[in-house]
Amino acid sequence: MNDLSDAEMILVIGSNTTEQHPLASTRIFEALDKGAELYVVDPRKIRLTDFAHGYAPIEPGTNLPMINAMIHVIIEEDLINEEFIKNRTENYEEMKESVKDCTPEWAQSISKVPADTIRQFARKYATTDKAMIIFTMGVTQQTTAVKSIRALANLAMITGHVGRPSTGINPLRGQNNVQGAGDMGALPDFLPGYQRPEWPETKEHFSKIWGDFSCLRGNNIIQMFNLIDEGIMKAAYIVGENPVLSDPDQTHTMHCLEKVPFLVVQDIFFTETAEYADVVLPAASFLEREGTYTNTDRRVQMIHKVIEPIGDSKPDWEIIAEIMKRIGMDANYEGPSDIMDELNEAAEIYGGITHDRIREVGLQWPCLTKEHPGTPILHVGEFKRGKGLFTVNDFEYIGDQRSEEYPFILTTGRVTHMYHTGTMTRKVWTLALEYPEGFVEIHTKDAEELGIKDHQPIRITSARGSIVAPALITNRINEKTLFVPFHFAESPANRLTGQNLDPIINIPALKVSAVRIEVE
Amino acid sequence: MEANRLYKLNRDKLDQVLDIWNENSSVYIPVGKGRDIQLLPLGEGERTEDYINLTLPVKEMVFEQKEGLFKWTRDEEGIHVEGLAHQHSKDRILFGVRACDTYGVAYTDRFYLGEFPDPNYKSRRTETTIVAVNCLRAGEHCFCTSVGTGVFSTVGHDLALTPFDSHYLVEVGTPKGQGLIDRAQTFFTETDEGMLKEKNNLMARVEESFPLKMDLTNLWDDMAKTFNADFWLDEAHACIGCTGCTNVCPTCTCFNVVEENTDEDHGQRVRYWDSCQIDHFTRNAEHHNPRDAVSRVRYRIYDKLKYIEERFGYKGCSGCGRCTDVCPTYISIIDIIGKIQEAARENPEPPAIHQITKIRHEIMDREIKSQNGLFSPDVATITRVKQETPEIKRLFMKYDDPELHKNYEHKGQFFQVTVFGEGEVPLSIPYGPEMTDELVFDFKNVGSVTEKLFQMKEGDKVGLRGPYGRAFPYESLKGRNLIFIGSGVAMAPLRTIIEPVMSNHADFKQVYVMASALRYEKLLYKEEMLEWAKVPNLTVKYALKYPTDKVDAYSGYVNDLLPDLDLDWTETTALLCASPERIKKLARDLMDLGMKPTNILVTLETHMRCGAGKCGHCKVGSHYMCVDGPVFNYEEMMALPNEY
Ligand SMILES: Cc1cc2nc3c(=O)[nH]c(=O)nc-3n(C[C@H](O)[C@H](O)[C@H](O)COP(=O)(O)OP(=O)(O)OC[C@H]3O[C@@H](n4cnc5c(N)ncnc54)[C@H](O)[C@@H]3O)c2cc1C
Ligand code: SF4
Ligand code: SF4
Ligand code: SF4
Ligand code: FES
Repeated sequence: MNDLSDAEMILVIGSNTTEQHPLASTRIFEALDKGAELYVVDPRKIRLTDFAHGYAPIEPGTNLPMINAMIHVIIEEDLINEEFIKNRTENYEEMKESVKDCTPEWAQSISKVPADTIRQFARKYATTDKAMIIFTMGVTQQTTAVKSIRALANLAMITGHVGRPSTGINPLRGQNNVQGAGDMGALPDFLPGYQRPEWPETKEHFSKIWGDFSCLRGNNIIQMFNLIDEGIMKAAYIVGENPVLSDPDQTHTMHCLEKVPFLVVQDIFFTETAEYADVVLPAASFLEREGTYTNTDRRVQMIHKVIEPIGDSKPDWEIIAEIMKRIGMDANYEGPSDIMDELNEAAEIYGGITHDRIREVGLQWPCLTKEHPGTPILHVGEFKRGKGLFTVNDFEYIGDQRSEEYPFILTTGRVTHMYHTGTMTRKVWTLALEYPEGFVEIHTKDAEELGIKDHQPIRITSARGSIVAPALITNRINEKTLFVPFHFAESPANRLTGQNLDPIINIPALKVSAVRIEVE
Repeated sequence: MEANRLYKLNRDKLDQVLDIWNENSSVYIPVGKGRDIQLLPLGEGERTEDYINLTLPVKEMVFEQKEGLFKWTRDEEGIHVEGLAHQHSKDRILFGVRACDTYGVAYTDRFYLGEFPDPNYKSRRTETTIVAVNCLRAGEHCFCTSVGTGVFSTVGHDLALTPFDSHYLVEVGTPKGQGLIDRAQTFFTETDEGMLKEKNNLMARVEESFPLKMDLTNLWDDMAKTFNADFWLDEAHACIGCTGCTNVCPTCTCFNVVEENTDEDHGQRVRYWDSCQIDHFTRNAEHHNPRDAVSRVRYRIYDKLKYIEERFGYKGCSGCGRCTDVCPTYISIIDIIGKIQEAARENPEPPAIHQITKIRHEIMDREIKSQNGLFSPDVATITRVKQETPEIKRLFMKYDDPELHKNYEHKGQFFQVTVFGEGEVPLSIPYGPEMTDELVFDFKNVGSVTEKLFQMKEGDKVGLRGPYGRAFPYESLKGRNLIFIGSGVAMAPLRTIIEPVMSNHADFKQVYVMASALRYEKLLYKEEMLEWAKVPNLTVKYALKYPTDKVDAYSGYVNDLLPDLDLDWTETTALLCASPERIKKLARDLMDLGMKPTNILVTLETHMRCGAGKCGHCKVGSHYMCVDGPVFNYEEMMALPNEY
């Protein structure tokens, strides 16, 4: 993160950094103070745009054409880093060929960002030594998520913005411990330490620790709900997640939760999802337990218990260990540090991280041995896979588009004072007062056309469902574009979003839904 | 200040002294590392001397992040209220407090204990002893020497220690401090004034070492010239309303209240730190918010650098630098001072009238006669309910304790009305002094509390605190023409004067009541107005948007009726209750007719929580609408920043 404050150019794509990652944005402000320039790509004039040197009001879901056009400009104007491409990458020519026709004018016709703005972004990015890209869900929650990120990697590689301080493409994590959860293998296609179940050595390695186990790739949450719907999946155990509000297509989600024969929900509060559960397991909050979180920076940090668990609640690890015991497994952990010890063996990248070492200051993985100092920057000198591979990422429309029936594009997101589905923040007095209810951001011109007044409740309908929320009229959003925060159960944005998935990793396109407005 | 006694204490004896003090009190000591320093009870951590300052100001020990105000229970007999001011840990000695924080406490003492004394603060503060340890080095953002509150503690401490190589110089600030010396007498050696010279030399050296030095002599002039300067917009864009800055400030005193209910019959009202840096702090009904993003960010800075001092005579910023340290978007009071000075030099505006008008510092010293203390309501029972309009009701009630009616003094403009378990709302007093055994409120159903009130019926119980606020000056109206202008529920605050005027109509010349609404049905006091109109020198005029056959009404704005009234405008006082925009339009027309702004009386009803000048929600500039107002004359209103 410190890298960020030394950057000379920061390109923020699909990240409302000030509001969603206030501390990361502190680093952006630091960099600006030192003279850095800031470029923002977003369908909403987010707060950062007030400080930006360039702003691209992009049509939701069309980042890919814009990025490809930037690459096109950089190649055409010969701003590439030839040496880097030659020594550290492969497959450049094929990629180059693929963006031949991706002119800024072509991109403008799709993404609505003026061609000259695209040129300005491309030139600045290519010609700045320390240029960093920051992105979050604005890029990932669309049907071209993977392609867009690969295209960003192309962009970083043709200009050699990789593997040095204050460069690279940097996803900011949505939660304090998404990174940690992924590291632990809370993903359908990885075991702890990002080991693929299909690799032959994986099973061998883990069997040594756990004994024999079924080493198969799992399903992601979207697929699981579909399997429930098809009657194939018979039980679900949901830990610390509120899919009724956070997953796309709420109606479908509720239907599946109702249908699944056995549902266990483990959470610190009784959530909307818990309403459907056969068994609810009360978990202890971060203040009531020990353990570690791993942040965006791959830094593994301790959390310390401040108070004893309230009521019958228990730390998640204890609940899981209890369940393991009852189904006849070994779970002889005295505490989280025993689990960490097991992890040292299980995941190479965590090899040398122990509670004792991180009690004061965290360590960044990979940290291979007890003496290893941790790794602040990845990919120094060489990529993990050897040479950086250029990829071809052609744009195609998948999923929702504007139509006569649904002339608006809805994008979803958050507000500073709320966290996710509001299970915690809506219980905090100050925060709840700041945003007592949801809203729909709508451009002044669209509101005028439809005769909508500020704060007037309006109905928004997509092919999936319909919600009502008060209008918030603003000129800080693109025309014909709406924004609804997804925190509020009374106006659940995810009743509108759909199951349009990125074909590669199946992430839902929460940021792009076609909708219409009805004035109540 | 009278010369206080001086002692020396060997540094290696300090821990023994702390142990002795800890025998009969709880001693709190600084524990932690780097910027992470907190006061913890002796024994719960290792005492450190290597720290710039406590992470949170020591204020948190006397004005806690969350405090109970009162609890209530409902049983067959009624509702019982019990104040919670005294529920806290007793007799604490806070050791190691820095000068900026002792100064902060000196100010919060002035703030909470003056005028309507705050029972919670008072109780905690009485049980707290403060031992300052003076700083020998400055942090990155310390600027106490620039504001004049440091570097060595001068106020707010009971004892102040200045560290020398082998000993501390111990200065006694109060009898409480002397008491501490007496408890560990053998360790303290009395010494003479000679030591003070050494202390002053040391202080000069420390001051010299400060990285930040600012000249703040003309700051108020500069502020008056930069109220609308461009840089405020940048600051406003940056602020994400995280409230960090106000949470760490030793002089921030604002709070909000909330109900915590155990069940239908038991609950308590608690207060918790609130912040003017968030939107809802001043948000009013119908989404009206007198402060926008710019005025929100600017308000904190003006409050700290000017308003607090202007009103209470203490610096509102003690220069601790915490708000600069904590702000995630690099909003820095230090930089802002620089920007103010620069803009005043390079781009001065004509001084803002509300920044240069000499203002009143009048808070009515009025102990509220509540049985359980300032924040605890007295229980009253509803005796009658009258539906005035589809959305407005009139509630009549009597205190459960008849003594309260006997002692009731009819001064003030509004009450704080509690619906137990739901919350509290300010409601105006729509009756005159002749009501001696009953209270009445007229209110519109707009939100959560008023909704509950709306459902109440005879026999239901509510809580009352008050009366609060500056009322219309009844006596000074005598012998004049009067014109009352109010629409909808805004007629309620005016009725407090209309009633006595009715009963004593001979004391007044010509009286007009101008009633306006969209339609006749929406008018408050329809029947009463017909009665009032029977008084010889009183005329009721109606201005309605939609015609009616019930009364003779003009279709249009009230303003249009004014020129035709046969009034000697110089002999007239106008009483207005409306939105600030409406007030301004009316006042302009009235002044065109020849009225002086001082004869136009208005009420400014901002967001109010406590009613007693403590919670901070109602502030406009350095004025508290709840105690200085809500009634002002138009000249006074114009001398306030346009943030009501
Ligand atoms: C001095 C004064 C006298 C008043 N006299 C009357 C009167 O005689 N009759 C009458 O009908 N109304 C009067 N009001 C307005 C009344 O206090 C508010 O309508 C009431 O507080 C709304 O509370 P609620 O819980 O019903 O609404 P909520 O659900 O809390 O909110 C409704 C809206 O009112 C705002 N609000 C909440 N609390 C306050 C508050 N304490 N002060 C101002 N706005 C608030 C909220 O921000 C929100 O926008 C007066 C207000 C003041 C300041
Ligand atoms: S305004 Fe800032 S610097 Fe001044 S006292 Fe408050 S926190 Fe400290
Ligand atoms: S009004 Fe003043 S005291 Fe209250 S929170 Fe704001 S700055 Fe602090
Ligand atoms: S700390 Fe900074 S961002 Fe947070 S409320 Fe204060 S000024 Fe705004
Ligand atoms: S200070 Fe609390 S209402 Fe005025």
